Amino acid sequence: MKTVFIDCSPKKRLSASGFIMGLTELFVLGKKKNEKLRTPADHERILSEISDAETIVFSMPLYVDGVPSHLLPFLKKMETFCREHNKTFNVYVIANNGFIEGKQNEPLMRIMENFCDRSGIKWCGGLGIGGGVMMNVMRILLVVFLGIAVLRTILSLINEGSFFPVRPWIVFGNQILEVLALGCGIITFDIWFANCINRKKEYGKHYTRIMLPSFVFIICADLFFTIISVFQGGIFRGWFSRKKPTE
Amino acid sequence: MKLLIYDRDITLSDSVKEKYDRVIFADGRYAPCQGCFKCWTKTPATCVMKDSLHEMCRIIGLTDDLVIVTENWYGGYSPVIKNILDRSIGMSTPMSTYRHWQMHHVLRYGRYNSARIYVTGDISDKEKETWKLMGQRNALNWGVSDVEVIFSDPFSDGEGADL
Ligand SMILES: Cc1cc2nc3c(=O)[nH]c(=O)nc-3n(C[C@H](O)[C@H](O)[C@H](O)COP(=O)(O)O)c2cc1C
Repeated sequence: MKTVFIDCSPKKRLSASGFIMGLTELFVLGKKKNEKLRTPADHERILSEISDAETIVFSMPLYVDGVPSHLLPFLKKMETFCREHNKTFNVYVIANNGFIEGKQNEPLMRIMENFCDRSGIKWCGGLGIGGGVMMNVMRILLVVFLGIAVLRTILSLINEGSFFPVRPWIVFGNQILEVLALGCGIITFDIWFANCINRKKEYGKHYTRIMLPSFVFIICADLFFTIISVFQGGIFRGWFSRKKPTE
Repeated sequence: MKLLIYDRDITLSDSVKEKYDRVIFADGRYAPCQGCFKCWTKTPATCVMKDSLHEMCRIIGLTDDLVIVTENWYGGYSPVIKNILDRSIGMSTPMSTYRHWQMHHVLRYGRYNSARIYVTGDISDKEKETWKLMGQRNALNWGVSDVEVIFSDPFSDGEGADL
């Protein structure tokens, strides 16, 4: 059984879609291949990669309540490809969105289901994840926290000659637990999703999220964008102003 | 302001053009969104990609009545129209709020009155249902009070007199 995973985020690096796709892949058995779909130059390569696949997993961000625009021309080409070659893929979709409610991915899921109907391939369901940006930030922070723990270990080796200082690793352990607690819904639903892929079963449509009350999530999101806007300078360039078109 | 965005390469009659303050033909000669959020965090209400959609969010944001004519693609917008919408998220700010008990962004230009979406081309019943949901979701996202999805081709007379 060959499964092709397609990361459909337009981001070159560090996309939430790529991360959740990688996590899913850990639990999927058999031959696996990863693809990145950003530009039309990727289309032919991906079509040739899927030609001998049994299962295709699309992972993508929600853009304005639907699929990102750059993905649509690929779907059209794939529809033609499937019809011409009588393909019968199993298609699964993982979508992540910025807002906390994973349910906001519903129109995207329906579009992907309609795409499968038109292509004559099997819609096997999708997982919608709310709070995708936070999920992405958390996994990056975990790497940073690991770096800090290693650094503190090296420093204690140099300063105190202690080979294994317990304190930095207790702190890091706590940080892992916190991330796991916030991500427990995502991890559980994702393992179930991967299990369905392995058993070629229909998953249905399920939605999960970062495990935070939405008002706390909103405060975190506002803080996040404020900090980035300070660093990138947007806050000083009419952050909220009702700018008029210049031409 | 009244804005018409359409994806059919057709010459509109003067009487149609007169009804709108601005008419935009989605010719597809622009890049898709790269997902960088700089239209919020670095150059507010301006896309960092310098093509014809560079300031599109300002035009859509200042609109009171929006009319879109789009071909049906799986129950959603055609890529050329969707590209315009994706590149226009700068019409809101990065700050979040609740609308209908769900999280959404605070609008930079406030709410607008109406959105009318004409969906053209071959469309299945399931896709029609998707469109109805899409209309409702977009209305919430954009802060539109009144949204209507119409499954008919306003260009069937050749020049869009129904628009
Ligand atoms: C153009 C654009 C439109 C977006 N529209 C929505 C939306 O309608 N609802 C939502 O919850 N998030 C929306 N988002 C947020 C993305 O879904 C979110 O940032 C996601 O985690 C990005 O995933 P990626 O890192 O895989 O690209 C939008 C982001 C962009 C750039």
